[in-house]
Amino acid sequence: MSLFKKVFLFLLISFVGIQFMPTTRNQSNVILETDFLKTFDTPNNVQNLLKNSCYDCHSNNTNYPWYNKIQPVSWLLENHIKEGKKELNFSEFGGYSKRRQKSKLKSIKSQIEKNEMPLPSYTLVHRDAKLSKNDKELLIIWMAKLKDGL
Amino acid sequence: MKNSIYVVAFAVLFLSACKNDQKQAESNEMNTNEMQMSTDDNHSSNDETMQSDKTMDVATQKSGLTTAIIDGYLVLKNALVNEDSKKAAEGGKMMLTAFSNFEMTKLTETQHAKYMEIAESAKEHAEHIVKNPIDHQREHFEDLSKDVNDIISLVGTDKTLYQDFCPMASNNKGAMWLSEIKEIQNPYFGSKMMKCGSVQKQIN
Repeated sequence: MSLFKKVFLFLLISFVGIQFMPTTRNQSNVILETDFLKTFDTPNNVQNLLKNSCYDCHSNNTNYPWYNKIQPVSWLLENHIKEGKKELNFSEFGGYSKRRQKSKLKSIKSQIEKNEMPLPSYTLVHRDAKLSKNDKELLIIWMAKLKDGL
Repeated sequence: MKNSIYVVAFAVLFLSACKNDQKQAESNEMNTNEMQMSTDDNHSSNDETMQSDKTMDVATQKSGLTTAIIDGYLVLKNALVNEDSKKAAEGGKMMLTAFSNFEMTKLTETQHAKYMEIAESAKEHAEHIVKNPIDHQREHFEDLSKDVNDIISLVGTDKTLYQDFCPMASNNKGAMWLSEIKEIQNPYFGSKMMKCGSVQKQIN
């Protein structure tokens, strides 16, 4: 067997092997009372934008794409979601202190303004999660207003 | 409650009038602090972040509990003045250590709950400052300054500090910071606008 074949076989076996490794899925049927959308009176268009562009990594419920069932993509995303939720979890937003809510709203606004969120690597695959110029403006203005009202 | 506000206001007036007489000022200050606590209790239902604006008008308590936090904050502040992102991250780390070593057992029960809320927020900002470039550090520094200022009005300090304000920071919304020197050195703009801002208040 040539070296190439050996390497290929090794990779193939590893690839099949890691498919059996367990992953925790970020999914929940319960919408918590502390959910952002339950805490604040949010207009429908803002709700849709948040759910489409933010909730996958920043809430307790991810809408998984088919390829996420394949390793090592699952791992990558799992870590990603863990980090994302640590920074900002819309499902628990209502449970944050007022001080933290305000600083989070400021960060949300600034991340959108600077095109840092949603992540370019995420919108590359999830085309529908990409925010248009109008979407961004809507979110930025709405978040600023919410923050000032707190 | 209304009465106690008058009493505090009167005590503050009296205190500032007696600044030369150190001994008398000290005893007044103690009274003020006691009364400040009782008004704090009455205000506890109000917006927590607004709390500082009310109590800052009252003399700041003397306390060494916050020294390590403030030391870290000042390293961070001076690093931002000098546009030294690496040093700023060090200041952030110092603050994180200071928060984990903070002697919470020395706080009263009312102070404790408020402290926990402020510290949670401050630590998060410090963490971001540790791992980000200077623009982002400055963004978090803005909120962190408010947090540190609120901790000082809650717990006190024995340092002399200046509360500065630059109206052009934070996209012209204005932002405050704390400094150990009277001269303005702007941490939000650094050399671009070193002198922008003014002293709003002296602490101690």
